[in-house]
Formats: sequence, structure tokens, C-alpha cells
Amino acid sequence: MEGGDITLKARGIWKSFNGLTVLAGVSLSVRRGEVVAIVGPNGSGKTTLLRILAGLEAPDKGEVEARGVVKIVFQDNLLLPWKRLRENIALGLLYRRIPRREIARRVEWAARLLNFVEHLDKYPWEVSGGTARKAAIARVLVLDPDILLLDEPLAGLDVATRRSLMESLYNVAKREGKTVVVVDHNFEVVSEYSDRVYVLSHPPARIEAVIDLKSIPKSERLPALYRSLSSIASSRPQD
Amino acid sequence: MSRVAYNTLVTLARSFAGFTIGFAVAVGLGLLYTVSETTRGLVKALNTILQSISVLIWIVVFVMLFGVLSPLPPVLVAASVSLPIVLSSVVSGLESSSKRLAELAAVLEVPRSRYFLDFLLPSLAPSLAGASRAALGVALRISVVAEAFGASGGIGFMISNYYSLAEPEGVFGWGMLLVALMIALDKGVLEHLEVKASRWRVET
Repeated sequence: MEGGDITLKARGIWKSFNGLTVLAGVSLSVRRGEVVAIVGPNGSGKTTLLRILAGLEAPDKGEVEARGVVKIVFQDNLLLPWKRLRENIALGLLYRRIPRREIARRVEWAARLLNFVEHLDKYPWEVSGGTARKAAIARVLVLDPDILLLDEPLAGLDVATRRSLMESLYNVAKREGKTVVVVDHNFEVVSEYSDRVYVLSHPPARIEAVIDLKSIPKSERLPALYRSLSSIASSRPQD
Repeated sequence: MSRVAYNTLVTLARSFAGFTIGFAVAVGLGLLYTVSETTRGLVKALNTILQSISVLIWIVVFVMLFGVLSPLPPVLVAASVSLPIVLSSVVSGLESSSKRLAELAAVLEVPRSRYFLDFLLPSLAPSLAGASRAALGVALRISVVAEAFGASGGIGFMISNYYSLAEPEGVFGWGMLLVALMIALDKGVLEHLEVKASRWRVET
């Protein structure tokens, strides 16, 4: 995939930990406004790849090129429990000399976009896992990133919340023109809302398949993803 | 002011002053701990050394340095016993939480100075409150020993005085006052503060 609208590109990413190769030459590219999912077996380096894309880890080989601001939402939310959701979301704005009124406006905007505005004055331990996850996403959204990376945003959420959260992320991409990259195991919801899926193989992980979901009818998306994943399962190296 | 009230206040003031110094130094060392690998090693080494120094050594050294009439030895002894208790709590808290919080701070582009004040220090509040409760109790108990060794005024000084006069009633009475003071301070103030500081940790 080539073109001027590519906002995130990783070329030949290699990464090892303690002599064990996790990523073996992974390449991907994402266009502006796209929702892209990265799936794969446990331990296939999905989170490592996301952390490399976010600049939190350096690859051993390869390079990442990002056009615009990249922000990551961690799997464990990392909301500060001594601050209300409103204050948590505003955290990244407080140090940027932004007027208080503007900070409040952005916090409200993000909460409305993700549909949890009624919980803004609660503490993280007073809200459900889904709302806490939305707050963690909102905290990054208010920074106006061009590229949003999310590590297992649907983990631990019930079916309805998973769907509503993924729909919100889809809206963020399509209405706000953000690029959204999601690592997740929830294939049903991911296949419904993603434009493309990168399937990683067992470690040392390579890109096993790239599925262009937009070109597949909705009813065929999940089976196509499962077919790809089963081919990986059958090629699993013997322990 | 009665003699009991005066000496009780003197001991409390010395213990609080010493605890405050010890707490401030521990937090300062905590900040140093986050600066680099070298300072982290230094703070850890210092913590190990501080844990190994007997209270008796502190008392004798400070009395020798400042003299028996100085009000400083009980204060500095209280600081010296508070410091390693609070510092251990700060170091273990930073070791367990700093990496993830540092990543969050990096994502949010939080300035280094604000990172310590707004992220790390509040995250340590529950363990700091527990450590402070223990440290203040120890500071109060130990500062009276320093008062007995060499100081004018304070509960320790009064106990030592009655001991010299061979008046066990006085020793017992002032001793009981110290115990009552410890219990009142711990149950009436410190326990509530610890519960308040740990509220979010209990809920999460």
C-alpha cells in the first residue's frame, strides 16, 4: 500500500527479549481515518509491536514512520485513582498552558464522543470497567492525536460495552479523521468495525495475512478472519 | 502552663519536628531516586546504611555534637529514626509503580518536576501514610530516650530526673503519660489519617 495518505508505517520491525525473537521483520502501514486491527496468537508480540509503534520501545531492527502525533492507550487504563475521571482526562492538558475553559470543553467533548459524560465526576474505582476504559481513551483523545493506538481495549468488557466502545472508536476514526490501531482478541467486534486486519503468526512473529475487511461483506468478515487464524494454529511450531 | 502540659508539649514538638525533617529528607531522596540509575543506586545504598545504624549511636553522636543542654539531639534523633522508615516505604513504592506511571507521564508529556509531584508522590500516599504512622510513633518513643540522655525538659527528661531522685512514682507516672499520649495520637489522629490516605487503595 503506497500513497500520500499513509500516516503510520512500520518497516521490517525486529525485536528480541533475552535472546528470544518476538517480532521478525513485521511491516505494516495505515492510512489516515482507518481503523486497523492487529490480531494473533498469545505471545505473538502484538503489544510489543504496539509499544514500538508508540515509541515506548525501540526496535532492534527496522523503522517506524509516523505522520503526526501518536498516542497509546494502555491495556490497564492507568487512571490515577486519587483523581476524578474529569481530572484524569484533563491530565495531559494541564501542563500545556491551555486555558481552563478550553480544557473543560475538550474533556466534555471527549466524554460525549465516547458516551460517558454522566460519569465525569466519579472516581475510577466508582465506575465500571467499560467506563474506566473510555476515560483512558478520552484522556488521550483530548490531546488531539493523529494516530491512536489501543492495547486490548475490549478486554474484560461485556458484549454490549465492547460493541459500543468499538463503535465509538470507529466514529473517532471516521468523523474526526483519526487513525485507530487496535490490538485485541475479540474477533467478532474487531472484524465488524475494522477496515483491515493484520494477522500475526506465532513467534518469531511475521505478518501472516492482511485481510481487507472493507472488500468483504459483513457476514463474511468473521469467517474470513477465523480461516486466517486457523491456518496459523495449524502451523504452530511444536514445543 | 502546668508542668505536665509543658513537658508533654516539648516532647511532642521535638518528635513532630524530627519526624517532619525525616519525612522531608526521605521524600527528597525519593525524588533523587527517580533521577538516574546512579542516584537510584546511591539512595538504595544509603537506605541500607541508615537501616543498619543503631538508635543508640545517633543519640550518643548528637549529644556529643550539640551538648546536653541543646534542644537539638532529641529532634535529630527523631529525624534519624523516622528517615529510614519513611525512606524504605518511598523506595519500595517507587520500585513497584514508577515504570508504568513513567510511561503514562511520557504519553501525556508531563514535565519531570510535575511527574514526581503529581504522579509519583500521590501514588505513594497510602504507603507513606502507613509508614508515617509508624515513624511518628517511633520518633516519639525514641525522642524521650534522647531527652533522658541529655536535654532540658520533655517527658524523657522528667523520667530520667525522677529516676535520679529514686522516685519510682514519678517514673511510673510520666511513663504512663507517654503511653497514653502514644495511644491517643495513634488512635485519635494517625489511624484516621492513614484510612483517609488509603481510601482509594481500599476501593480499587
